[in-house]
Amino acid sequence: MRSIRRLSTMLGAASLVLGTLTVSVVATTVSASAATKFKACVVTDTGGINDKSFNASAWAGLGDAKKSDPSISISYLSSTSSADYVPNINTFIHESCGVIVTVGFLMDAATTSAANAHPTQKFAIVDDAPVVKKGTSVLGLQYETDQAGFLGGMLAAGMSKKGAVATYGGEPFPSVTLYMNGFVAGVRYYDKTYHAKVKALGWTPAKGACSLSTCNGKGTFTGNFTDQTAGKTDTSTFFSEGADIVFPVAGSVGLGSVAAAKQAGKGHYVMWVDSNGCTKDPSDCSLFVGTVAKGVEPSVEAAVLSAAKGTFKAGSYVGTLANKGTALEYGGVTIPSALKAKIATAKAGIIAGTISVNPNNYPVVK
Amino acid sequence: MTEATPVRLHRRVWAQLTSQHPIVVTIFALILGFLVGAIIIMTTTASVLDAWRGIFHNWGAPGHAIKLTFDNVGAAYRTMFTGSVVDPNSLWHSLTTGKNWPVTLTPISETLTYATPLVIVSIGVGIAFQTGIFNIGANGQAVLGGIAGGVVATMVHLPMVIHLPLALLAGVAGGMVAGSVPGILKAFTGAHEVIVTIMLNYVVYAFLLFAVLSTPFQQPGQQNDISRTFDGSAQFPPLFGTASGLRVSYGVLVAAMVVVFAWWFLDRSSLGFDFRVTGANPSAARASGISARSVVVLVFVISGGLAGLAGFVQAASTTHEIDGGFLIGNAGIGFTAITIALLGRNRPMGILWSSLLFAALGVGGRAMQSQTGIPLDLATVIQSVIVLFVATPVLVKEIFRLRAGPVATLKLATQGWGT
Repeated sequence: MRSIRRLSTMLGAASLVLGTLTVSVVATTVSASAATKFKACVVTDTGGINDKSFNASAWAGLGDAKKSDPSISISYLSSTSSADYVPNINTFIHESCGVIVTVGFLMDAATTSAANAHPTQKFAIVDDAPVVKKGTSVLGLQYETDQAGFLGGMLAAGMSKKGAVATYGGEPFPSVTLYMNGFVAGVRYYDKTYHAKVKALGWTPAKGACSLSTCNGKGTFTGNFTDQTAGKTDTSTFFSEGADIVFPVAGSVGLGSVAAAKQAGKGHYVMWVDSNGCTKDPSDCSLFVGTVAKGVEPSVEAAVLSAAKGTFKAGSYVGTLANKGTALEYGGVTIPSALKAKIATAKAGIIAGTISVNPNNYPVVK
Repeated sequence: MTEATPVRLHRRVWAQLTSQHPIVVTIFALILGFLVGAIIIMTTTASVLDAWRGIFHNWGAPGHAIKLTFDNVGAAYRTMFTGSVVDPNSLWHSLTTGKNWPVTLTPISETLTYATPLVIVSIGVGIAFQTGIFNIGANGQAVLGGIAGGVVATMVHLPMVIHLPLALLAGVAGGMVAGSVPGILKAFTGAHEVIVTIMLNYVVYAFLLFAVLSTPFQQPGQQNDISRTFDGSAQFPPLFGTASGLRVSYGVLVAAMVVVFAWWFLDRSSLGFDFRVTGANPSAARASGISARSVVVLVFVISGGLAGLAGFVQAASTTHEIDGGFLIGNAGIGFTAITIALLGRNRPMGILWSSLLFAALGVGGRAMQSQTGIPLDLATVIQSVIVLFVATPVLVKEIFRLRAGPVATLKLATQGWGT
């Protein structure tokens, strides 16, 4: 007991000394970090920079920009809830970030009002095209992911052994449902063209065509982009309904699908979303038939580099199969070359405009 | 210390400083919290670690390592301070030129904005703690208050003088409803309030999703889980006008009024006295004719009402809308309130200072992360360590070898569990 006392006294004394020193240092050191470098900043949504999905991609885009131009310094702030969007953006405005990247449709309102209040501040927002006042500098980055989703649907349909594949989303935003809509279109196209007897679960498109800003229909949603347990439950349900490949469009929730596929055993696969599953989650590469990728990283990198060079252009950027702003990437499962050839043909058709990615053009074969 | 032996002033001060007076313990807990934070910065910053690894390489190395440590720790805590209170350079500039006041005042404005709902909800939790009741459901009560206030703020259209107070009352009522359920269950069936309040949180979260996804409340033209925007007449206007860009709003006045109310209620009102007696000694309270049932129900109604008020104030002063993630997860002020109430020893003034400290750490942590790259989580670590030490005064007493002082016994702030 006595030795413990002595030890704790010493600890106490040491901490007092250190604490006082710390305070004095705080009081005396002069601000050293003069902001001469170009600073690129990202405000992530609640998923944070480790969501292995689009927030991670945006942060990686900043990292790529720093690699291309080492004079750029980068910084991020994660939001714990939507109440953090405004203060996070304000913090970066006060720190004179050269460009502020915000991630996701949910940050539309916060980005719009910040841009309107600070017209000279450059913004880039992923997955959104905000309506802002004239004279502001906001670049909306959007991606026609239904094009790559279509190819993903074909891949899933071609790989399915049980005759059913499924998709689900995080929340019914256009940026999410566009993927699901394209996926279902791809499955139906494959079903119709190659008489494969395969159906898609989890998304029923509404009438009419989808655009970047609206894509309606009914489907399965987990309600957020963070609850992996919900993703696992939904995926297990799809498996029990006869599906063997599931395409989660819900950021890190998709990791729940990976867990469900592992649990369900051989023959159950996952189609990853946003950025290559085998790079983001290498240990589960053998479970990924492919990834419907969104070119967040290259487009964010390009936006940051242009802002650093002074060539930043406000407006909108739309990623397509043609400009590689969205793409189908193969995963760790061996794909028959015949199927790859069919997908390549469809890809050329979509780029040429001869194949539509609207699922309503391919009625379900009964 | 008898009257026969006059003690000199410095002796008396020293005796206070080395006693286990609650304030002394809290101050030492603060020191320990920042110390642990410093150690974490030191051990997680690569350049500092490298410098310490190389201290035997040459004579200058240890000095270099120490300097680097202080530079990094100093930069972290400095940005935390300038990001949450005031940047001295900016203040001097504003004072001498009269310009840039908004920039100078932004940090303190943010801290006050964050502290406002925290003060209100923590006082609610603190009142329950003083009565020996563990209200772990403050977060759910705050959410229901936010919904109820939000419904009035979006669907009723009135001039501000009526609309805002009405929405505030709706928020209070929402919290009271959520709070009365565990209160009644405990009073009449003996159900344990900790279990009931925790479980009720999830019920309220599910109701929140339902509310923001249902037609009258959901933002028209949106498919996702977001409410309509509050009417301008049901939002707290910014204290310094919209043009200043400072977010601190008239909500701070509500928080101030709650502090005064709580002080009056606990120290001056007879109901507050009943509450405190029940908390201090339930058997004595029963013996002296205080109805345990009505105290339990009333404390839950008051605690829940304050939580509901906090929920609405949070939404009406910052986001002006609520979404499916309102106060969920790390944003749950009702859970932060438990630690703040502990730190403030359940007293209104204590809670006020603790809320300001927690808000400053959160806001300053944001500035620290964006300027130095040290993660915001460090602020959470410091908060947790402080509360850990405050909740275990014996530990602080042993570390600093404090003597039993004027306040003879240290009451455990967490006592009351299971009563």
